[in-house]
Amino acid sequence: MILTGKEIIKEVSNGNITIQPFNFIQINPNSYNYRLSKTIKVFKNMTGPKPVFREALIPKEGIVLEPRQLYLAHTLEVIGSKKYAMSLIGRSSLGRLGLFLQVSANLGHTTSEHQWTLELVATQKIRLYSNMLIGQISFWENKGHIKLYRGQYGRLDETQESLLH
Amino acid sequence: MILTGKEIEKEVNARKITIDPFKTSHLTTNSYDLTLGDILLKYKEKILDPKKNNKYKEITIPKKGFVLRKGSFHLGCSREKIGSDAYVPIIHARSGIARLGLFIHVTADLIDIGSHGVITFQLFATLPVKIYPGMELAQVSFWQPKGEIVLYSGKYQDSVGPKTSLSYLGNNK
Repeated sequence: MILTGKEIIKEVSNGNITIQPFNFIQINPNSYNYRLSKTIKVFKNMTGPKPVFREALIPKEGIVLEPRQLYLAHTLEVIGSKKYAMSLIGRSSLGRLGLFLQVSANLGHTTSEHQWTLELVATQKIRLYSNMLIGQISFWENKGHIKLYRGQYGRLDETQESLLH
Repeated sequence: MILTGKEIEKEVNARKITIDPFKTSHLTTNSYDLTLGDILLKYKEKILDPKKNNKYKEITIPKKGFVLRKGSFHLGCSREKIGSDAYVPIIHARSGIARLGLFIHVTADLIDIGSHGVITFQLFATLPVKIYPGMELAQVSFWQPKGEIVLYSGKYQDSVGPKTSLSYLGNNK
């Protein structure tokens, strides 16, 4: 089952969900709106098989994303849960502007807790601002025994590039 | 838990789910097929800005179809009005559409409980693809929530036709 906004608030106060900083105004009927980080990683080039990114501070007037380019950023909030699985996606207001937020991997593992890396791909040029409400995360009940997440990304804050190489 | 097709039909009859118009032939094992409305919207801005009311033009999809160019982005809508005060709807492409490389949303598949209106599709074509008014393009599934329900009362409520981004209104909802 997917948690309602009220249930998310309850489980944040029970310590079963971490959202840090937490702001009541960002609660939706069945999700929580998260904010965009202050920095963004811009794809530069490839060195062998590995893409190279340049990290940039998002200026006050915003940063314009070029279409069909991958950018990496992260959530301002530390988000996680020992009890629930998570699904992290964009807000409909940004989707309506043609912004992919998470290219396909929306599933967050139970017991991971960190600032989530965001994969951003614009279909048209779009200006983004740091701290803006950019996406939403929902929390889902598990069935079965929960095994501690041992993956390499689940404890990492800041923007993490792929560790496949 | 996700509702089966039979359960969707039951809850439509019990008025816990709104699908209007509703045809039992559109029910699938765990979802309901949505059809494409007649209108598309295309942004006219060089740079889209979430803080602005971005300009757009309206396109009527002709009966003989409209070709979405490779890499193009349009907003479309469902003919059906969808909503539920009891379940969480999630929007998906039909697999036959996805296999043509057409995204029907680019990120936001999750609909709020209590949100009612036609669904705005975020159409992104990775190949040239022809679309027709009334074609079965997408599907909606319904998921059981846990916890006290506070209904949606945001800026997209009661949408008729595709709706561009209202992020410039600045509020959280």
